Amino acid sequence: MLRLIRTESFKLSRKLKSWLGPQLILVLVLIAFPLSIDISQYDLDKFYFSIIVISLMMTAFISTEGMFEEDFEDGSLEQEFLLEQDFYKIVLSKMLIYVFFIGIPIALIGSLFLITNGADFDDLPKVFSILCLSNILLFNLFSFGNALSIDKGAMLGVLTSLPLALPVIILLGRAVRTIQYGEGFFSIIILMSGISLIVLAIMPIVISAALKTHID
Amino acid sequence: MYPYLLFIGITTLMIGWIWGVLYAPEDFQQGNSYRIIFLHVPASIFAQTIYYFMSICALMHIVWRVKLAAYLIKSAAPIGAMITFIALFSGSIWGIPTWGTWWQWDARITSTLILFIMYLGILTLHGSFSNLEKADRLMSILVIVGVVNLPIIKKSVDWWSTLHQPASISTSGSSIDPSMLMPLLISIVGLGFTLISLGILSSRLYILNREKNKKWVLEHV
Repeated sequence: MLRLIRTESFKLSRKLKSWLGPQLILVLVLIAFPLSIDISQYDLDKFYFSIIVISLMMTAFISTEGMFEEDFEDGSLEQEFLLEQDFYKIVLSKMLIYVFFIGIPIALIGSLFLITNGADFDDLPKVFSILCLSNILLFNLFSFGNALSIDKGAMLGVLTSLPLALPVIILLGRAVRTIQYGEGFFSIIILMSGISLIVLAIMPIVISAALKTHID
Repeated sequence: MYPYLLFIGITTLMIGWIWGVLYAPEDFQQGNSYRIIFLHVPASIFAQTIYYFMSICALMHIVWRVKLAAYLIKSAAPIGAMITFIALFSGSIWGIPTWGTWWQWDARITSTLILFIMYLGILTLHGSFSNLEKADRLMSILVIVGVVNLPIIKKSVDWWSTLHQPASISTSGSSIDPSMLMPLLISIVGLGFTLISLGILSSRLYILNREKNKKWVLEHV
């Protein structure tokens, strides 16, 4: 497992566009969105969190877009499978590395943008933890979509995984309300943590099954 | 067998609809607009039921590699998409007189829309691969994962305080007057038989198409 984590982190660190690109895109979207609509700062405060949530979803998808495609095309996925005899560890290590290198930074960027747009500074840990957990969920779901469509283009990946991501967005909407109204945050964070753990445990199995089908 | 089932289905459906539209009493609050339930409720029920059926088939295909199960998923998915669209469309028509809007981002409606997109996603995924065995397997995986949406659809009206009303018919009873309930139940049965017969027809055609190079198909045709 450690070997896989080292390999994946090395591979991702060499691909600048894969880890830096999504973060820059998120920053650009978060800057561009308020500029594109003529609203007062007061109105922006009210729904800036929603903008972040949607931007985060889009960024999570962009981040996972080529997660398996390159490995599949150059044969390294097959090679790793022969070496490990299973995809579970490969997928799990990939997921952890992607969440660590991309998910956490974009959660931090999102939180900072929210604070600069009028949210209470004391809410920073709450916002950051919610965005981190949602990233775990979104990264898993979108990588599932990409594992299904692998070399058939991003459109198919979105079509298959976006419907599954929408309940996460609904959950995030509820989390936003708990932060804004200052009530029920603890229960929502427990719920999201539980779901994230389940997804993190189960999704690599499902993704492995999809990848195995492609290799077969 | 399917022509008989289709006949029974359409006849029962017609009885249910004629009874519901012409003879059932007017609702004291919604007037005549409520009569769309004789289409909307059965369609909504079967939109989810078909997905449950597909998920059982997907499990059979993944676990026991039953080829026929994958064929059934592929045949049921367009019917599921069609009936989900009918449920959404009829709900939308009903929304105008009752809520004053065609569409509302309500939990039940949105989750049903997600189900519709899921059906389309399943069909698109299967259509994207030239290797049909691979397509069957990937489709089955997607169907199993998509099951998480079903409890969300079912419980959405309880978990969120939304515009859509909670279920009027449950195992503990019904809040609908018997004079309206009877034609509704007949419509549900009728639509069920119609969809089963359509499913049989669709899977028959699909199996023949998939196995067209097999000897038994040539003999059969």
